[in-house]
This record gives sequence, C-alpha cells and structure tokens, in this order.
Amino acid sequence: MVEIEELKRLFPRAEIAEIPYEERGYHLSIAVEKGDIPDVADTFAKKGCYLFDLFCVDYLDFLELVYFFNNHSAPYRIKVTTKLDPEQPTAPSISRIFTIAHWYEREIHEFFGVFFEGHPNLTYLFLHEGIDFYPLRKKQVKVSEEDKKRLMPKPPGEEEDTFFINLGPQHPSTHGVLRVILKMDGEYILWAEPVLGYLHRMHEKMAENRTYQQFLPNPGRMDYMGALNFNLAHVKAVEKLCGIEVPERAEYVRTITCELNRIGSHLLWLGAFLADLGGLTPFLYVFDDREQVLDILEAVTGSRLTYSYFRFGGLYNDVDGEFIEKTKRFIERLRGRFDMYNRLITGNVIFINRVKGVGIMDEALIRRYGSSGPVIRSTGLPYDIRKKEPYAAYRDIDFEIPTGVNGDNMDRYMIRLKEMEISLNIIEEAINRLPDGPYRAEKLPKKLKPPKGDLLSTVESPRGELGVYIVSDETEIPYRMRWRVPSYSNLMTFPELARGCLIADAIAILGSYDIVVPEIDR
Amino acid sequence: MTDVLKIAVEAIGQDTLRVILGLIGVLILVVINALMLTWAERKVAGHMQRRIAAKEVGPFGLIQPIADSLKLLGKELITPMKVDRVLYFLAPVICFIPVLVSFVVIPFGEGLQVRDINVGILVILAFSSLSVLSIFIAGWGSNNKYSLIGAARSVAQNIAYEVPLLLSLLIVVIMVGSLSLKDIVEAQKGMWFILYQPIAFLIYFIAGVAETNRTPFDLPEAESELVAGFHTEYSGMRFAIFFLAEYTNIMIISAVATTFFLGGYLGPYLPGIVWFLIKTYFLVFVILWFRWTFPRVRFDQLLNFSWKILIPVSFINLIVTGGILKL
Repeated sequence: MVEIEELKRLFPRAEIAEIPYEERGYHLSIAVEKGDIPDVADTFAKKGCYLFDLFCVDYLDFLELVYFFNNHSAPYRIKVTTKLDPEQPTAPSISRIFTIAHWYEREIHEFFGVFFEGHPNLTYLFLHEGIDFYPLRKKQVKVSEEDKKRLMPKPPGEEEDTFFINLGPQHPSTHGVLRVILKMDGEYILWAEPVLGYLHRMHEKMAENRTYQQFLPNPGRMDYMGALNFNLAHVKAVEKLCGIEVPERAEYVRTITCELNRIGSHLLWLGAFLADLGGLTPFLYVFDDREQVLDILEAVTGSRLTYSYFRFGGLYNDVDGEFIEKTKRFIERLRGRFDMYNRLITGNVIFINRVKGVGIMDEALIRRYGSSGPVIRSTGLPYDIRKKEPYAAYRDIDFEIPTGVNGDNMDRYMIRLKEMEISLNIIEEAINRLPDGPYRAEKLPKKLKPPKGDLLSTVESPRGELGVYIVSDETEIPYRMRWRVPSYSNLMTFPELARGCLIADAIAILGSYDIVVPEIDR
Repeated sequence: MTDVLKIAVEAIGQDTLRVILGLIGVLILVVINALMLTWAERKVAGHMQRRIAAKEVGPFGLIQPIADSLKLLGKELITPMKVDRVLYFLAPVICFIPVLVSFVVIPFGEGLQVRDINVGILVILAFSSLSVLSIFIAGWGSNNKYSLIGAARSVAQNIAYEVPLLLSLLIVVIMVGSLSLKDIVEAQKGMWFILYQPIAFLIYFIAGVAETNRTPFDLPEAESELVAGFHTEYSGMRFAIFFLAEYTNIMIISAVATTFFLGGYLGPYLPGIVWFLIKTYFLVFVILWFRWTFPRVRFDQLLNFSWKILIPVSFINLIVTGGILKL
C-alpha cells in the first residue's frame, strides 16, 4: 500500500496532492522533476504497483509526461507528472524498471519527439518511415535529420544456424495485420518482436479535431469485438467530466448490452483459438451462437459490429419487451451449449496436450507489463475493474471473478469459458432488476463544454483494463484524449513468453491473448 | 472391337496390353476418386459444421469438383522469381507418379488386379515413400522459409511413421507367408485379420494418417503456423496436382488397410469390387472425420508418439505374433 507521508519523505521536492476519486477517476497526483522519475518508478515497482499508462500531453509552454501507476490488490491510481522543455524534450527512460515502458516510450518519441535517455531502441512503432513532423504536437515541429536517422528501424542481423521469419502482416493466425519478427533456430524461437502500425489510424489525433459527440463512433472502430465496452469508456468519461446524471434504466441497459458484447467477443475468441490449434470446426459452432448475440444487439442498436449505441446521459433508444424476451431465450440456449463445448473441446487429449503448461505467466511478469483481463486472471489475480471500480449497474450486481492457478493457456481458456457463464448470470440479474423510467437524461446541454481539468475513466473490456484520459480546456473539443488499450500491454509479453518455444506453441500463446490489432494500433 | 483387341494382343503381347489398359483404368480411377473426394470432404466438413456445403452446381453439388478443376486449369501458373526452377517444376510430377504405380498391385476384386506381383506390398511401400521426396523437393525448390520448415517437418514425420507402418504390415505378412496382396486377401477367407490383430490395424491406421499428412498430423502444411507449408508457393494446376496426390494417398492407405485387415474384396452377396469400395471408402470417411474434429498435435508430440509408443508396441506385437506362430 502506498502511504502519502512516506512519499512526501522520499520525495521532498515533489508536489503531492490527493484528488477526489469520484470526480477525476484517480486518487493521487504527484508532480516531480524529470530527474526523479526513475526513483519514483523504482519506488512504485518495489511496492508492487504496475505501470498502467505512460503518455505525453503538449501544453505548448511545456510537454507533460504522465505516468499512471496502480496496483492489483486495492485500486489506488497515482498520476505522476513531469514537465519537459518543448524545445529539447528529453527524459530518463524507465524501461529497465517497467518493461512495457519500452513500448510507450517509443510511441511518445515518434509522436512528440521526446528523447528518452537510456532507451535501447527508439525507432518507429506506429508511423511509417519518412514522416517529417511530430503528429501529436500542438504546433508543427519538424523531425530533425538526426532524429530521422535514429527513428529508422535497424534490421536485425542474420547469424549462422539461425534465420528470420516474418509472421505476418499477412498470415492466417495473426488476427488482423500484426507482424511479428521471429528469429528461429529450426523449429525453436530464439527472439521475437512485434511490429505494429499496419492499422494505425491515429484516433487520438482525430479526437483533438472533433467535438465529444462527433467522436462517438470512433471508439467502436478501435476494438470492433468489444465496441460497446469502448463506447462506454468514452461516454462514461465525458459524463463524469460534464457532471451529467445517467438514469438508472440506462445504466442497466448499458450493463446488459456490454455483457452481451463480451459474450460475443469471447465466443469469437474460442473459435479463433481452436483454429490456431488446427481445429477448424468449433469456429462454425461459435458463430452460430454469436449470430444470436448480433441479432439481439442489431435489433436494439441498429448495427452488428461497430456499435455506437450509448449517448451522453443515456442511450440512443430504449429497449422493448422483445429485446428482453430474445435475451432470455439466448441465455437459456447458451447455457445448454456449454456442455457441448466442454465435451467437444475441453476433454480432447490433443487439445489438453497443446494448451496445458504452455505460455506460463507469473505475477512479476504481469507487473512489469501491466497486462490485464483474462490473461492475468489466469495467474490467480482476481483483478477485474467491474469489481474493483464498479461502474454502470455492476455496483448492484454480485458476481464472481473466475481465476486460474497456473497462468497457462489452459487457464486462459477455462477462464473465458467461465466468464461467459458469469456474463449470462449478470445479464439475467440485470434483466430481473431492470427499472422503469427514462432511458436518457432529460436536461442535457446543447453544447458540451466541460470545465477545465483532466479525468481518467476505466472500463473492463473483454480483453482487460481499458482507460480513457481526457484533458479539457473548456471548449467543445477535447484538448487531449488518450486511450490506454488492454491488448497493447497483453501482446507485449509475447516476446518473453515465446522465447525458447516451438513455433506451434508461440501461435497458441498469441491466440490465447485474444488480441484485436486495430485496438493496439488505434 | 474384338478384332482390334486381337491385333493389339498379337502386336504387343497380352501382358503388356493388360498393363497399359490397367494403367489407363487406374488413371481414370485416380482422377475420379480425387474429384469425388474433394466433394466428399466438403460435404463431410459441411455437415459436421452444421452447414449445407456445396449444393449449387449439379444435384447435391456433385458437379462442383469439375467446376473447381476447370477454374484451377484456367488459372495462370505463377512461378515466383527466386525459386529453383527445375525442382519447382519437378515436384508435382514426382508427387503424382508413385501414387499411380501403387494402384497396379491392389486387388479391387477377384481377378480385378492389374498385375499380381509376388512382392506386391513392397512395391506399394517403396513407391509411397517417394512422395516424401516430392514434398521435400517442393519445399526446398520454393525458396520460401515456410515451405522449407514444412518440408523438414514432412521428412521427419515420414521417417518416424514409416517404421510402425511397415512393422504392422509385416505382422500380416508373417501370418500369411506371402508378399502378394492377392494371397493376403485369400488368406482372410475364414476370418478378417483385424480380429486377430486389432493393435496392428490401429497402429497401421494412425501411421497411415500421419503418412498422408492429414489432421491431426498435418504439420507439413499446418495452416495456422506455416501458412500452407510446402505448397505455399504453388498455385493453379500445380497446386491441384498436390491435392490430387494427397487424396489418392488417402485412398491407397485405406485400400491397403482394407486388403490387409478387412478382408479386401471378400464379402457375401455383393460382388467383390463393391465390398472393396465400401470398406475402403468407409476408412476414407474416417480419415475425413478426423480432420474436422481434431486439433493439430505439436511437432515434438508427434515424433514422441511414434518413437516412444507406436514403434515399441509394434515391435512387441511382432515378436509375440512371431512366437505364437512358431509354436
């Protein structure tokens, strides 16, 4: 547990302030000199925190680096900020302490031009080679020749007895357009590195160019499998920012639709995971079930994949009796199907041999990477935002969080199956309690002009902990909107888990993350 | 017609003519079999996946394979720039010829055999071993890393599974005392060998599935790992020939299993060839069934299974059978 007094003693120069969590979504704000950053990170690492997010905000007079720390036992979100000179922005790298910072720092370097001292590989991550300005700076800043040279990716050298394989960007089992460079010794993987950016659309920059309402459809395009959860994160953040009250009924419908969305996402994962292992038939079976989810959601939201159903202060339209009826029928149907899935897949000897003991994660690894979702629940950490920082109707509904023991692929598989069952329970409970009343707040401002300030909003997406950080400057347009996506920190554990694996196991591990590439690339 | 035959017999001799006609017949059989198996695979897959599968072209979609092959024939043959041209062209040819020869010695019915060679089973085993050569040539000649890995896997897999396959067939040969397929079928007049040797049959069948690179042993062409394995760089008709060979191999494995363990063409009431085809295609169906219900095994598991389980068990089986026969 983090003690404020202790922090004040450790960092006398830092400005430490407690923040009202209900209003801003985090507990503590610490402003430090940039030289203190490694010490601060080290302190939090020793206290068992993980790096939730790391990003940069351009305030014109200065660049602000924002580090978010949190821990898995009791949520206590700490914002650490430091100011950088916009002319020559440099900062110490903390990638040795938190491995995931390696990737966040690369991202900041190419988007803002911040040079991280001690970072081993500051090359392009999302952007294409040859772009000549830093896209997220508020004033146009040219990329200097020296920076360009540094940003160019360095091709890894081949050695005797080893060879390189490009897994992707066009490959049957990279779930989109992920590319992973593998250094192979025969069938064994010696070294792996994900290459991102094939689906990069710069949603964060788009957000700085349109009003809050106009941005409504965008989050659903990031994670097309959990679109409603992404929408909810955005809507929830803006509601908190503007102080909009949401009616009970809307909160319940949001919960029901989000859980349906989660089931749809997990079902697709099940099919894709088995296809990665070479079993092609389950894919068609899960699509049969997923079709029902899509039909239900289509009738109420109007779309089947990239929903934008939620509005600030409520919903786009109300649900009717038919929706309830169909959902109840679906619950009955899917409950009957789990038995079949267990008989078809879980008991299969080949399947068990392929997933048991493969891709084992432990808590230390998870803390270094800040992974989340079913991936970390497989190690036995009961960390779920729905439970730890409840939102929507999850406050009123009691449900259990399935956890694994070994942290291997088998556990991740079992947890997702169990999670679907629990989602069904949540939906059933929410339907039983569904209150009458308005589905949208009545007195809404025509123009949303949130007060000055910043805010963090978190949601449990099907893949894990999703965070939106918004900086408002009293205009209709967000000053900065940062998306912290779960697949990003999940995927980055791949190089470590894949080292020394057979290529077939690496594919299974990659499949077990349930990554959605457009979400990682944003 | 008979005049033509007489002249032909006088000109080239009865035996040669029999072989030529037989080969033509085998060629037709192979092509029709492969076409029908692509249809059957689609139908089996479809029904196992709760779909209807091909149904538009012809009744029950029966003409679909012909439409497919016309499409494949019409495709441009793309040769990637950096392939080893000789090997790249040679691989599909080498792939296809051995499977043709294997059919020469298989007795489809009583007297329905192109040539009864007294070392019949040796011919089949020798020629079917050649197919691994073609896969390796294809993988090496394609100059693609995925293909190369697929080819290397194929060689390791075939060496590992050739041994239990041979050993389990050897048991039957010891029991009959002849290498001729006809003798082996005739020896099963009283009782099919599957009842004497269920373990040998199982081992043979598992090894056979592995030999034909079918799921769960489809590692050389593992789609989710190696894109398409050894035939990644092949397109159009060249790709189709690999497919043709694969389906014919399935047929051969099933036909040999029928001949050795299921009494070949023997059976009551119906003519021999009908019994033979029923038994063979039942086994073919089982192999298709595997593909749509099992995930893929891992490479090390595959090799361990052969070297640590199948080969010791078949050796013990062989020694025990030999001992019993000697007594």
